[in-house]
Amino acid sequence: MIVSSFVGYRGVNIKRGGGKCKGGPGSNFPEMLVDCPSFSKPQRHMYDDTTAIDVVDLLKVFEKKNRAAVRAVDYISFRVRRGEIFGLLGPNGAGKSTTIKILTTLLPPTSGSASILGYDVVSHPLEVRKSICVVVQENAVELYLSVRNNLRTFGRFHGLTWSEIERRADGVSELFGLREHQHEKGVDLSGGLKRRVQVAKIFMIDTPIVFLDEATTGMDTFNKRATLQAIREESRKGRTIVLTTHMLDEAEELCDALAIVNHGRVIAAGSTDNVKSMGLRLLNVSLTFERLTNDILRFIHAYHPYKIETSDHSIEVKVREEEAALGILAGARQTGLLRHFEITNASLEDVFVELIDKKESVTS
Amino acid sequence: MKEVLAVMYREFLIRRTSPLWLFFDVAVPLLYLLMFGVAFDKALGLGLAIGGDSVSYNQFFLAGVLSMSCFGSAMNQSYGFFVDRDNGIFYEFLTYPMTRGQFLLGKILFQCLMSVVQCVLTLVAGVLMLEIGIQWEFLLLVFCVVIIGAAGWFFFLAIFAFLIRRNDTYNTAINVAYFLLMFLSSLFYPLENVPGWLKVLSYGNPLTWQTDALRFLTIGVGQIEFIVIESLCFGVFLLVSFWGAIRTLQRAI
Repeated sequence: MIVSSFVGYRGVNIKRGGGKCKGGPGSNFPEMLVDCPSFSKPQRHMYDDTTAIDVVDLLKVFEKKNRAAVRAVDYISFRVRRGEIFGLLGPNGAGKSTTIKILTTLLPPTSGSASILGYDVVSHPLEVRKSICVVVQENAVELYLSVRNNLRTFGRFHGLTWSEIERRADGVSELFGLREHQHEKGVDLSGGLKRRVQVAKIFMIDTPIVFLDEATTGMDTFNKRATLQAIREESRKGRTIVLTTHMLDEAEELCDALAIVNHGRVIAAGSTDNVKSMGLRLLNVSLTFERLTNDILRFIHAYHPYKIETSDHSIEVKVREEEAALGILAGARQTGLLRHFEITNASLEDVFVELIDKKESVTS
Repeated sequence: MKEVLAVMYREFLIRRTSPLWLFFDVAVPLLYLLMFGVAFDKALGLGLAIGGDSVSYNQFFLAGVLSMSCFGSAMNQSYGFFVDRDNGIFYEFLTYPMTRGQFLLGKILFQCLMSVVQCVLTLVAGVLMLEIGIQWEFLLLVFCVVIIGAAGWFFFLAIFAFLIRRNDTYNTAINVAYFLLMFLSSLFYPLENVPGWLKVLSYGNPLTWQTDALRFLTIGVGQIEFIVIESLCFGVFLLVSFWGAIRTLQRAI
């Protein structure tokens, strides 16, 4: 799996794994980098064939009249490798969309730098725009144009020839189930269909980097699955995908690497598996009994679970050690009342909530 | 160039799907000329005395209608930014592979094309229906002034379209501005006999500069030295507005 390098955030260190790669004096890089590549003191936009996006100490402050300035992005750094599906996750107002807006040349940063395929987003915005396509958070559809003309204008803006536009429009219409809606105007489409048209547009062209800001919002399950599959295919072809989403199961399924941001800072980053293991490495033990007895609860408590929840005949237990999980399961079997059991790793959502909660409590 | 053509293609598709927009762009100035102009022409009878010349109100008002249509269609075009912003496509445009200048240039070139069509229709109506005598030898210059006028007003209004976030606020502001600019100018009446304060304000109004130039080129009224100065002033207005539009567009997110 291709793994994104975690190049850190100001003021918080995360130690993990084996070797150490230390940031140089004065750098804002944490002590440990996940899958640390061959740099010890990162240089601005050190460009190599594997780097698609390089973000270094990015800061965006919104000055407001008669109000305190807001740090939407607070010295974040990360790197995305080519061909990777990279998830930028975080709660509302975490700074994800502001980061995407800076990377897509919509907003200038207050300080720090960001580059796309080696092009600085501030000094070479046009080259950056030639390398990217973006699904913005809003339902960006031409309301007075038909679905077909939406695709056509998008193709024209990206320099496709007329014949290529028609060929590709046929393809994406088929892929996203838009064929029967081709002559409908944007204004007449449902929210989900508008989103489909918007996402379909990125498949009209071949820019090496795609930004998807909440791309599947409003889509039904079937279209969402088709979209995710299509995104995966694009990644296999070598396109780099950067996505933000609130749907963590989607991110877990899709992303090779992640950065979790909160209050404008990266609080965890790395490969999806590594980020998942940044939590307390909890195991979920789900048990269903014929009936719950005090003896059952007593022996489970003896394993000092991190968390325990009961409902009717079921118990959900979170434990840190594998031995504890297996011990609980063995004890449950001995009662002769066990009907169903399941042991699973913590999901990305569990880790996400845990990391955000931990950061909130440290902050407060 | 293909980026600019892509913007024009998109504008063309949108106009093609909206007959109301087309009506506003093309027919409203004609209606002004044929209704308002004709009524005033009859009311004034002998016409207007300007700098020793006597011209009919229809002749006088022709340049005003051309200026008005430039301003009106620029207003319409700049309002399009609100439509784009409301449906989110505006932000997507700004990530397309083109510069902010190419984006504005594509829009204004399409607008200029529309303004030239309007101009032709207005001149044809004026000549055929109202029997206005026109200096045909200056026709190309008339088109130039119309194009420069439409561009100047579009860039000027675009600044406010980018600065103002609410379309109701924009509508109110622009309608008030439209009213003041029209009546504090040489669009409806000659400025020779108006009160001093009105004259001062009117000669500081780019709509007067454009209208005077068009009047000079269409019916030959005005002094060449004065028209040259007014034209230079309009050129400065165009450049400053273009610079302002680019600056505000860069900060429009």
